[in-house]
Amino acid sequence: MNAERQSKNRQFRREPARRVFAAELREARLQFKDGDDEKSPSFVLLPSGERCNRIFLVGKMTQKDKRGDQNVFYTVRVEDPSGMFFINAGSYQEEAMRQIRQIEPGTFVAVIGKPTVRTTPDGAVFISVRAETVIPVDEATSLTWVLDAAARTLERLDHYGSTDDSRKAREFYTIDPVRQRQMVYDALVRIQP
Amino acid sequence: MDTVPEVVERISLAFEAKGATVPREKISGKLNLLVSEFGIPLEEAERVVTNELMREYNLSPSSGAGAPAGQRAIRDLQTGEWVTVEGKVVSVSSPPIAAIAQSGIIADSTGAISFTIWAKANVPPLENWKWYRLEAAVVDEYRGVPKLNLHSGTKIQLLDDDRALMPSIIPIQSLKPGVGSIRAKFIQEWEPRHERMLQTGLLGDATGTMKFIIWKEENKEKLVLNTVYSIHYATVEEFNGRLSLNLTSAAYFPEEGEDIDVASSVGTDEIAGVIVHMGPGSGLIKRCPVEGCNKALSRYNECPIHEIQREFRWDLRITGVIDDGGEATNILVQRDIAEKLSGMTLDEAIALAENNPLGFDDVLDRMKNAVMGRYIRCRGSILDGTLLVRECTPTAFDPALHAALLNRAAPVPGGAPQ
Repeated sequence: MNAERQSKNRQFRREPARRVFAAELREARLQFKDGDDEKSPSFVLLPSGERCNRIFLVGKMTQKDKRGDQNVFYTVRVEDPSGMFFINAGSYQEEAMRQIRQIEPGTFVAVIGKPTVRTTPDGAVFISVRAETVIPVDEATSLTWVLDAAARTLERLDHYGSTDDSRKAREFYTIDPVRQRQMVYDALVRIQP
Repeated sequence: MDTVPEVVERISLAFEAKGATVPREKISGKLNLLVSEFGIPLEEAERVVTNELMREYNLSPSSGAGAPAGQRAIRDLQTGEWVTVEGKVVSVSSPPIAAIAQSGIIADSTGAISFTIWAKANVPPLENWKWYRLEAAVVDEYRGVPKLNLHSGTKIQLLDDDRALMPSIIPIQSLKPGVGSIRAKFIQEWEPRHERMLQTGLLGDATGTMKFIIWKEENKEKLVLNTVYSIHYATVEEFNGRLSLNLTSAAYFPEEGEDIDVASSVGTDEIAGVIVHMGPGSGLIKRCPVEGCNKALSRYNECPIHEIQREFRWDLRITGVIDDGGEATNILVQRDIAEKLSGMTLDEAIALAENNPLGFDDVLDRMKNAVMGRYIRCRGSILDGTLLVRECTPTAFDPALHAALLNRAAPVPGGAPQ
């Protein structure tokens, strides 16, 4: 797959939206650029050992806030069985803003967006998702997403230590794969009927 | 795989013509062995079996009974050759241009080929369903399709005897440019793009599918959807590397009550994931009305080729990206499936667009809300990196998968301390 990526390097290739649980994303700290170009894509390294430029998540919107006077933007919280995602959308995410405006908290939503790592003035590191698209969905979709995210996370953990990204993750993060596997298990247990 | 009974029948007839009787079980047994066990193409297997049996029964392994030297099997004709063939005219058609006096198809037990009689050759036209011996005809090629040219030097002899002739039915997968006979099911009807076109759509058999067209002509009948047909002597044409069948001069017979399994009528590529992006080309669009163009018009009714168009055709589609978490793939969804996925019909979309200044955006927004972020499985064929979707089904929550994942994620008892 790497060779394939190399051969198509010159051609535009859309980054896939990785499936990641809130509990894992919350631990992500490392953001880097792939290349020196200003337009080079920016990636967040997931603790399970894969880079992501875009993620796809589904969960219940628990809170929605409109912020800013001049430059209005929304912050939204979306809950999955493992924790909370922090989503935002500003004037550069016009479509997501328009969609969020029409969705009431309590609704299940599917979110496609880009993770970004920020360091707050007091030194705390905080990861949020800049939304591209926010779509209201049903609960069944959120359950299916949990299976999808679980399968993808377990896949990453199965390759932990054997890929460049995962070796990098092992150096950078202290969180170990056993704990991450436990997190996946807990999320799956939580959606049992 | 069972051998095609027609092939067994044809080999058997060829031996009867030479006064030998070969048990059909023996023929089909040998054919089966070659085709199923060794994966040899049916065409080739037929030749091998015939030659083998010819030797076994001490007959000369030439194509026709007692054929004089030089006479050739139509299947083996090569471009550039001067040949003598004996065959039955199975189709004649009115010449499309004055320089051609007659064109048609001539067949023997091995295959069929188009023939052309040029006006300046001064040759009397051939009669349909009659056997002829053609000496010194020239094989040439037109658009990659072999053709037989009858010129002033060609000796044409009408043969009195009507011999048995079974068209060689072949799988769709084995069709080549030229003439071919198939047994296939009419599985999809498409809107004709040209007023002279009687019908167009998709035919399929167990090995594949192929587009077909029938041009308007007197006494031409339309095919009935979901019916199996025996199609004899259709012209196989090649355009942009893709084959299609022209049935205008072919004979086709419905097989009442028959059914066949069509291989992957929806293509063999499948992606399960979610639609994570819908491009601006999605939703309600206008298409260029110029015959054969059909390109999407811009917001200002501009066709990239035909400039501003006052008239247009409405259409509904999705151009987007499906993403399975490992890879993002472009998809193109045509109207019928776009309607099903979005729950909005083309007529509803048109009504929205015509009664509302923001109608186009409204249609797109509604479609996005109905389509994106859901788990679906799309089937079709990938062309230039884009999946052309022919079938789309929602993926439901799978309790069995849930159980399997729980097992996979479960902490190993007595393993690493938690």
